[in-house]
This record gives sequence, C-alpha cells and structure tokens, in this order.
Amino acid sequence: MRLFATWLACSLAAGAAASPIFAPDVRPGTAQEGETLFIKAGRLIVKPGEVLDNAQVIVRGGLIIEVGTGLAKPEGAREIEAAVVCAGFIDPWSTLGVDAASVRDDRTGIATRTVDAIDVFSNDRLRLETLRSGVTSVRTQAGDKSKFGGIGAIVHVAPGTSREAVVVLADANVAASVGLSRGGRKMDVFDRVSEIDKLISEIESGRKYEEDLTEYEHELTEWKVEVAEKEAKLEKDFKKAKKSRTKKVEEAEEKGKEFKEKKYKDIKKPKPPKFDLDKEIMARVARGELPLVVQAHRAGEIRELLDLTEPFDRLRLVITGGTEAVAFAEELAERRIPVIVWPAPLGTTRADELSGHDLGLAGRLADAGVRVLIGSGGSSASRDLPLLAGVAIGHGLDRAAAFEALTLGAARTFDVADRIGSVERGKLADLIGLDGPPLVSTSRVRYVIVGGEVVLTPEN
Amino acid sequence: MLTRALFLSALLAPGGVPDLAAVTPPDSFAIRAARVHLGGGVVVENGMVLVEDGRITASGANVTVPDGVPVIEHEGDLSAGMIALHDHSATRGENYDSTRAILAEAQLVFALDVGHSDLARLASEGVTSIVVAPGPQALVGGITAVVKTTGRAVKRRAQLDVSLSSISLRAARFPTSYAGAVAELTRRFEEAEGAFADAAAGKLPVLLRVGPRHEVQRAVEFAKRLKLVGALYGAPRAGELADAIKAANLAVILPPFDPGDDSRGPKSAVQLAAAGVPFGFALDAPARHPASLRLGAAACMRAGLEPSAAWDALTSGAAAIAGVDGYIGSLAPGMDADLVLWSGPPLDLGSSVVAVYVDGKRVFGGDE
Repeated sequence: MRLFATWLACSLAAGAAASPIFAPDVRPGTAQEGETLFIKAGRLIVKPGEVLDNAQVIVRGGLIIEVGTGLAKPEGAREIEAAVVCAGFIDPWSTLGVDAASVRDDRTGIATRTVDAIDVFSNDRLRLETLRSGVTSVRTQAGDKSKFGGIGAIVHVAPGTSREAVVVLADANVAASVGLSRGGRKMDVFDRVSEIDKLISEIESGRKYEEDLTEYEHELTEWKVEVAEKEAKLEKDFKKAKKSRTKKVEEAEEKGKEFKEKKYKDIKKPKPPKFDLDKEIMARVARGELPLVVQAHRAGEIRELLDLTEPFDRLRLVITGGTEAVAFAEELAERRIPVIVWPAPLGTTRADELSGHDLGLAGRLADAGVRVLIGSGGSSASRDLPLLAGVAIGHGLDRAAAFEALTLGAARTFDVADRIGSVERGKLADLIGLDGPPLVSTSRVRYVIVGGEVVLTPEN
Repeated sequence: MLTRALFLSALLAPGGVPDLAAVTPPDSFAIRAARVHLGGGVVVENGMVLVEDGRITASGANVTVPDGVPVIEHEGDLSAGMIALHDHSATRGENYDSTRAILAEAQLVFALDVGHSDLARLASEGVTSIVVAPGPQALVGGITAVVKTTGRAVKRRAQLDVSLSSISLRAARFPTSYAGAVAELTRRFEEAEGAFADAAAGKLPVLLRVGPRHEVQRAVEFAKRLKLVGALYGAPRAGELADAIKAANLAVILPPFDPGDDSRGPKSAVQLAAAGVPFGFALDAPARHPASLRLGAAACMRAGLEPSAAWDALTSGAAAIAGVDGYIGSLAPGMDADLVLWSGPPLDLGSSVVAVYVDGKRVFGGDE
C-alpha cells in the first residue's frame, strides 16, 4: 500500500482527475459497542475439522473474545443456546445488496467499485431470508456478467443502515468473465478468444505499469541523490562563485556589455508514468494483491485462460462456474486455483456455455484436490446457498468439504480469514445456531449473529 | 455400497454350492436397510422389504424372508420412489397441439418416447413415476397419464387438463378472453359423453392450470360451480387461499422451485398442510432438472413444513392426487416395488441415490 500512497501523492500533484478510488476509506466491519453474549453450544464447530462438545463462546464488542469449554457466563451477558453452533456461511459468488441496475450493467470496467453500488436499503425481505438460511456474508459484485465487473466486495448480510456498517472488505477482488452469452445470444468462438486476449493484455498492462512505476521510483531516488549532491557542492563553492560572479559583472559593466548568467546544466527530473486507474488496479491483480475472479465455463476457454495466465506467477486466479473444469482438475489443483461452483439443478433451458452443467462437478473437482467453493451463481439467491451446498453433497461432494467451502475456504480465498469464517478468538462474531448439523436439509437455523449483533432468534 | 448376502444355508446343495437358478424365484429379493421409510411418516430402523414378482409382499421390522430369496443389505435408507405430479420428460415437445385450443381426447401417454434418456435421468434422482402433462399452450390439452420411468403406464387416463390461466389464451385463437374460455368450457362440460362428461361426473379428475392469485380464485369458483374434482396446478401462492381450496375439495400441485424463487412458494406448502389441503410437487422436466423435486421439498421444510408432510407430498400424497395410490407411493404390501436406496435420509439433499428399482427391476446404480 505504501507504493500506492506514494503514487497517489504523485498523481494528486500532477492534477489527476478525481476517480472512484478516492472514495473515503471505509473502515469495514468495525466492531460496534454491543451487548455481551454467552453462547452455549451442544456442539461447536470451531472451524472445519475442529469440534468441541458442550462448548461456550463469549462475544463482546462485536468480536469473539473467548471460545472453550467450561467457560463461566460473564455478568449481565445475554445467554443463547443451540444444539450446534458454527461460523456463518459465506457466499463467494453473489450479487446480493448491489442495486439491480448495477448488477445487470454489462459496461462496468476494471475500476468499477461494487461498494459504490451497494444499496443497504433495498430488498429487506430477501436479506432477512438470507440471514435466516445462515448466510452472514457474501462476496458481491456489480456487473457480474460484464467482461470486466470491476472490484468486488465482501459484505455482511446485515440489516445495516449504512454502507460502512456492512462492508467487511471493500476491495476483495477484480472480476471478469469470458465467453458468456450476452443478451440471450451465445458468442462465437473468435469473440470468446478475443475476450481472453483482452483480459490477458489488461493483466500485462498492469504488470508493465507496475514495472514502470518501480523504475520511476528508482530513478526518482537517484535524481534526489544527485540533486542533493549538486546542492552540497554548490553550497561549498558558493563564496568562490559569488566572488567570481561579482568580478564578471563588474567587467561587463566596464565594457558596457550585458552580463550573462552562467547556465547550470539541469538535472532532468524523471517523469512518472501517466496515471491510469485501470492499470493501477490491474497492477494490484498482477502482483497478487487482489484475486482475479474470472467466470469461464467451456473447456476451450479454461484451457486458454490457464495457458495465458501461467507466466504471471504472482497472479491469484479464481475461476467461477468452471462448467467443464474437470478436464483440468489436476492443473487447477497444482496451481492452487480455486473454482467457485454453482450446483443449481439446471434443466434443458440454459445458456450455451452451461450445456455441460453437471451437479457432480464440485465433488469431482474436490476429489482431484482442487479447492472448491460453492456460490449462488452471481445472483441474489444467496438465501439458497445452503440448499445448493446440499445438492453438491448429494452429488458427490464430501460434507466436510462443503462446510469448509461455505466458511473458512471462502474467507481464505478472499483474504478475510483473519476476520470471518471460523469461531476463533479475535474474529468478528458471525455465528449461527442450529437445531441439527449444518447443511442437512432438515436442520433449521435458530439464531443468527452478525458482527456480535443477534439478528435472528426463534422468536423473530 | 450394496452388499448381497445370500441366506441360503437351508438350500445349499450337498456339495455346498448353491444353485441360484433352481432356488430363487424370478424377481424375488429382499432389501434390509438401516432405515426403511414405509410411508405415512413411519420409519422403521433396520427394516426390510420383500419383493416378489415386481410387487412388495411384505415390509417392516419383522419380515420373514422365504428360503432362497436373496437379501440385499443396505447401510442407508430405503424408500418408495418419488412421484413428479406434472412433467414433460421424454415427450420431445410433442405434448401439445399448437393449432387447437381444446383437444380433450388427446392422451398424453402417446406422446411419450419410452426409450428417451430423460427417463433414466429421472430415475437417477429417485423419481420413479411422473404425470405426463401437456404444455401450457392449450386451453384443454388432453388427458394426463401416470407413467413409470421404465415407460410403463400406471394409469393412462389420469386427469383432464384444463387451463384457467391467461397463459393459454391467444389473441388469434378462439376463445380469446377469460370470459369466453369459461363460457366454452362450461358448454363442453355439459357434453353427454367423452372426457368432459367423465370429468363432470367426477369419474375423471381435472387438472386445473392456474397462475396468480386471482386465477386460483376463479378456478376454485369454477370447480365448485361444475362440481369438479381434482387439483390446481401452478399456483405458487395457493397457500394464501388454502381455506377456499379446502372448501372446494381440491388438491394443489405446487410449481417447481428454482434457487432465488420467491419464498412465498415454499411457504404455500406450509399453509396448505395446515389447512389440510392435499398437495404435491410438479417437476416440469426436462426444462427443470430432476434434482429440483427434492430441492423444492427442502425449501418447503426450510419454510417450516414438517419432514413427514414433505415426504408424503413426494410419494403417497402425490400418488393419491394422481389417483394411483393403490399401486405406488408407499412400501406397503401389495404396492409396486418402486424402491430407492439412499445414502442417508431421502429428504436431506446431501443424501444421494445409490440404487433404484422399478417394478422390482433395478434401473439405476447398485452393484453389477
């Protein structure tokens, strides 16, 4: 970020036009002062693979401050009890909370910021239903089907009243898509290839920009040193020079000539690369600061994408959809490229790129060692994410892998694992209490806690 | 996952090698499962189902297996096959006539391509019977049929399909208005013989296609006025009118549930159950994936529907609505041996289909 701050200062000095990146810094998910909670769990799923029986969780100020067995109830704490308690689910492929026009917008660009399109006031009922299903956070995206969707955000599904209150991470990823049917028409193969080429050239531009910027900074440092040295020398020579100048001025006057000041050779100041917001963002992508989430379905497109992204060794690619990704499972596993699968039962009426859609995809990828996440397919249907996870389990995905996909797996992929995704000390208190095991269709969510606030109880 | 244990000790040939061909009656076997879902909310732990000649002859906790009948041991759950109450699978788009508004005598069973891969896909998701229905274009699309995924018809004349939905009206085809449709339908129900007459006499149930709330109200009134029996199909918010539907003695076939659909659909099931209205689920494959059927039931349970009511709606309740409850929908003795072996409880979407039998013949999964 320091690099960016330096660059920002430079570009401000250069009079760069105002752009969305200058939006006020959002302090996401800041712990609010709230009531102290004492949550008793018959079974506490701390994180995937770690379970405590008869455990307690203490929540204060929006954070989990204690997790364990035999904990005493803090004085004045509100007691909540559930058969099973675990972290709230995360939908890594959603558009929930983004205003509808921004979701449909297919002309979003790299620099489009989803946080600017978040409408915390719309769709109250859907958000409540989403919470009721146990989903407490989503990675939401404007322009989900656009060639470049821009910067996606991780947000809480909270009945919040301000954008600041719901944003967990404002810059979670950059989204793009290749080969999608748009306007109800499938694309021809040349257009599909050109979309991938465009995407790759944007990453390349970002990398080049980064290099230019580094070079500029290097040159600037050198320039500063050189100028300093020159100044020191001038300082030293100042008296001698002054004497000599006075003499020359007098001589010139005597001869009735005009005195010409000696011109010092200028040390040219290096110029910064021309400010370009898209390139600035793609530079962050190229250096792996922001994951690049690309929706791709057909084997041809995934092959091309894998080949052409390989030279970018710091790029963190995430594939969404991945309908025909099984063919490359081994490579995806080896390169640690997560795939966000959409296990919705689709009938014969489906877009061309989804013609190979198979409910067994998640299971097959996971079996091959690919990190599989499950998403609601870039819709606002995050409410149905646990049902979709159930469908994936019923078609071959290991139950534990599905639970991880909906919690810590999603958090890790989008760099929020230090804040959400498990029930551990110091994390935001995003918890759900159920009457049975999670992701079992007959289990019901009884309590939902988001950022330490109890937003759902059996009574409401 | 299936293990065959042959209980043949009494029949071992002197040399110790059983002669299966000689001792096993054709199509006879028993399945023992960790949980057997008999139907009507009854689940038996470590129960058994005995199948002879394609029929269930005994089921429950205490089943005596005749000598020589192989017993299949299954670690998961065993249930009856599910029934999709409205479907277009394997009809290849030949389930409607685009030129005529009313085609009462068209039998949908003839639209079925019995070898079509749609049927195998249904079976692989635990659906063993469907009601083959016409497309939404016609005002009266014909007579639905209940068929198995093997193609065998359980009932060739199940319901008379009648639309009271604006979707079925065309500007260039008589009748063009709702009022005109009601007038024409009323006149046809007065016919002396044929499908309309059978329906008017209560001998052939009707399948009343509806959509929004006002169409449900109209259909209920229409059915009451003409004293029709049968079911409403396609009303996601029928639950809000559950009492009126109950008073008209109609059942409801809820439309398929897609992720993201309005939650009032699943809520409808809860309201219908509370009012005592029989209901089941449409699938409308192949436009929908067969897995949608259980997904819809799961969405209803999330909305508060009791699991036993959800399971009834997928099996015995559905069979009753289709008028075939004497043959399919439960594991009671005498029923067709349409069985699904699951990895776990069938209502959990996370349970997968391990094997499927239709009329005692394995059509999906299992050991070779």
